[in-house]
Amino acid sequence: MNPRPWNLWRAQVEAILRLEIRKTLLARRGLWIYLLAFAPAVLLWIHAGLNLRHGRVCDLGKDSLIFAAMFQFFYLRLAIFFGCVGVFMNLFRGEMLEKSLHYYLLAPVRREVLLVGKYLSGVIATSAIFCSGTALALAALFVHVPRAAAEHYLFAGGGLGHVLGYLGTAALACVGYGGVFLVMSFLFRNPIIPAALVLVWESMNPFLPSLLKKISVIFYLQSLCPVPAPIHGDWSFLAVVTEPAPAYLAVPGLLLVTFAGLLLAARKVRRLEINYGTE
Amino acid sequence: MSEREIVFENVSKFYGEVLGVNRVNLTIPPGITGLVGPNGSGKTTLMNLMTGLLRPSRGRISVLGVAPDQPELLFRFLGYCTQFDSFPRGMTGYQFVYSYLRLHGKPDKESAEMAWHALERVKLTDAAHRKIAAYSKGMRQRIKLAQALSPCPLVLVLDEPLNGLDPLVRAETIALFRALAEEGQHVIISSHILHEVDAISDQVILLSSGYVVAEGQIHGVRTEVEDHPMQILIRCSKPAHLASRIFDLDTVVEARVHNDGKGLLVRTREPERFYLMLNRLVVDGIDLESVAPADDDVHSVYEYLIGTDGGSI
Amino acid sequence: MAVYKRSYRGYAGPLTEEWSRFAIIPRYAYRGLFQSKIMTAFFVLCFVAPLVFLFLIYFANSWGRIAAIINERGSASPIGINGEFFIAYLGFQCPLAFILTAFIGPGLISGDLANRALTLYLARPFSRTEYVIGKMSVLLVLLSLITWVPGLILFSVQAALAGGGWLSQNLWIAWGIFAGSWIWILVISLLALALSAWVKWRIAAGALLLAIFFVAAGFGEAINAVLDVRWGKLINLGYVFTIIWHSLFRLRDSFEISPASAWVMLALICGACLALLSRKLRAIEVVR
Repeated sequence: MNPRPWNLWRAQVEAILRLEIRKTLLARRGLWIYLLAFAPAVLLWIHAGLNLRHGRVCDLGKDSLIFAAMFQFFYLRLAIFFGCVGVFMNLFRGEMLEKSLHYYLLAPVRREVLLVGKYLSGVIATSAIFCSGTALALAALFVHVPRAAAEHYLFAGGGLGHVLGYLGTAALACVGYGGVFLVMSFLFRNPIIPAALVLVWESMNPFLPSLLKKISVIFYLQSLCPVPAPIHGDWSFLAVVTEPAPAYLAVPGLLLVTFAGLLLAARKVRRLEINYGTE
Repeated sequence: MSEREIVFENVSKFYGEVLGVNRVNLTIPPGITGLVGPNGSGKTTLMNLMTGLLRPSRGRISVLGVAPDQPELLFRFLGYCTQFDSFPRGMTGYQFVYSYLRLHGKPDKESAEMAWHALERVKLTDAAHRKIAAYSKGMRQRIKLAQALSPCPLVLVLDEPLNGLDPLVRAETIALFRALAEEGQHVIISSHILHEVDAISDQVILLSSGYVVAEGQIHGVRTEVEDHPMQILIRCSKPAHLASRIFDLDTVVEARVHNDGKGLLVRTREPERFYLMLNRLVVDGIDLESVAPADDDVHSVYEYLIGTDGGSI
Repeated sequence: MAVYKRSYRGYAGPLTEEWSRFAIIPRYAYRGLFQSKIMTAFFVLCFVAPLVFLFLIYFANSWGRIAAIINERGSASPIGINGEFFIAYLGFQCPLAFILTAFIGPGLISGDLANRALTLYLARPFSRTEYVIGKMSVLLVLLSLITWVPGLILFSVQAALAGGGWLSQNLWIAWGIFAGSWIWILVISLLALALSAWVKWRIAAGALLLAIFFVAAGFGEAINAVLDVRWGKLINLGYVFTIIWHSLFRLRDSFEISPASAWVMLALICGACLALLSRKLRAIEVVR
């Protein structure tokens, strides 16, 4: 046994990252993830462009609320959710389908190291894409506000904290959903049905009792969002108001759930067999 | 467990209710070993078990003293060229070999040198920077071989490695296998073509329906096969008439009219001579439809060796 | 003559009629589909709601006797069997049809493309159109069985129980059930097939089908909120179908977009799906 396996494992994880990140970030088939990530930014830039063109004064407070709602109801629940479904379910199951996973399994790499490498590659790729999307969307919010007002909001009004909060939440969403979908790709041959169930569960979150709310990724993510988004619509009267989890609980809670998922995935990957015929 | 041999101890593998291999006991010494059997006989299953891509339902496997469920140790000295004709997307031949060498933990420069060396061995340096997707079948076969060879393994497992290669490259590849075996490596090659394995292997393992039906030195197997005359089926309009003429030939051991009455089954020890003489025998009034060997497949070899057709064990 | 020419015999037996040749695809597809216990169980589950609606129809038509028993003589039935009743029926069954499509549809074409098996079909006297119709009929038949077929049975039961002039006065409801179901079936089947051909991976195609319904609806709301417009609803397929069903069932609810624009949107989606299928389903393969 290698007396210093950490160095070897680090080198192997780096090799996996080099292979995987290129696949996720540069593949033509991954264009739809960019579309999901940058669509809100494009929308907000159009909004900023129209305001600038017509010389309209922007109401930063109103726009911040619109952004908060869009971030929580579209970005977290749908864009990052489906982006992570696409990326993390593809890590192992996609390669099974393309019949190329065996190349990894025929290398002198511990299966657990392979899992960590692949998971990290997914987290890095999705975080890079969705945090860039969030940053661009936030930039659109400030671009059509008078410079002095934007600076005041950012540096004196806690705006910078909001920006970092949104970016951190987007990255944590990739970590959390990534863990969930990676495990699902091992547990189910067709993970779409459980993914759909998770989607329904996450969408029902506002209407669930307080205890059940806590068994979801979205509850912790929403707790971390700097601006709470109001619930509108026909069913809003059914929403159950629950105290958001404080950041010192939400972040470790999410990481703990992810870690538990990865442990389960590690057990599965250790027993993984190559049987392409059944895919 | 032996540290110089590959050992299977009572190994079975079931895919649900379907049998992969059953109660395999084998000891494979260094040199070139051929795994022979018809499609579905369990050759690939045996190789996948040996390399940890599959887990045995029962029994134990040891490759030079290492269990296949320890990939971090096993693939330090084992290379496997599978029969899956698929590759990671968008890679060039060089990137493919180089990237997976980096997974061994080798630094950039060493990996690059080893990748080029492997590409030279399979004569693919000219196409190294082309996308694998644009490679021909033979080139894809060779790049897989390069990838398996690249870390200079002690044990090389090759699943149908000569598929898709043209005769020249085939001869070169066989020479490469021989050179590797002479260096003291284990080279395990699967094929469903007996004469191909005959040309390469020091020893053969015959598989049928998931069972090992024979193993040993190739010469012994061939001798057994040569004891049996070749069987030829002649489809013609007047088989009885043709049979009476064929009996005059000294190369023919047996001739009998086929069950359907529309053909003749001939057994001969000298098929080449028989074919030449047959042309002279076919005279007016006999309408010849087809002439084809009836027992030159592995099934027949099994039949000769163990008295069954290999499919009903 | 060469020996091989003597031994070769081309097929000279009877051929199936050209118009029915597409049926070979569903025949084998159903055999595979119903081997899945989940699929079979879900399909059976899809008939629970029609049974409940059947009970409600019976209940509504028996109200006179029930009212007499519970001393509510003369009161009106709490359930009205009208357009709203049948639109509620579609509201139950069509989402089930969508789930069934998400389960079956994505694997219909992707498997053939991923395994490069399309040429095996097209190398025979079998056209691309027949291939698409064959694949689509797998969905059309199953979805029909859980939407308009039980819907029309419910309608017939209601007509029989209500008697009098109910049938002649409400024949348009039957048309609403039939047309409303077929529009839903056609659009989601085309979407599923197009995505299946586009993505070539069953699981990804399934995810994309879900995403088109859910993400597009969410993004439509975002468009409306950010740009302060109403046309964002056009990419909310669920909303578009609701408008069309309401117009078919002659309900006069107000919506944020007009029925005409909803129809145009559906036509555009179908056109895009057909274009995608035409582009992806070819007998030749381009290696990139």
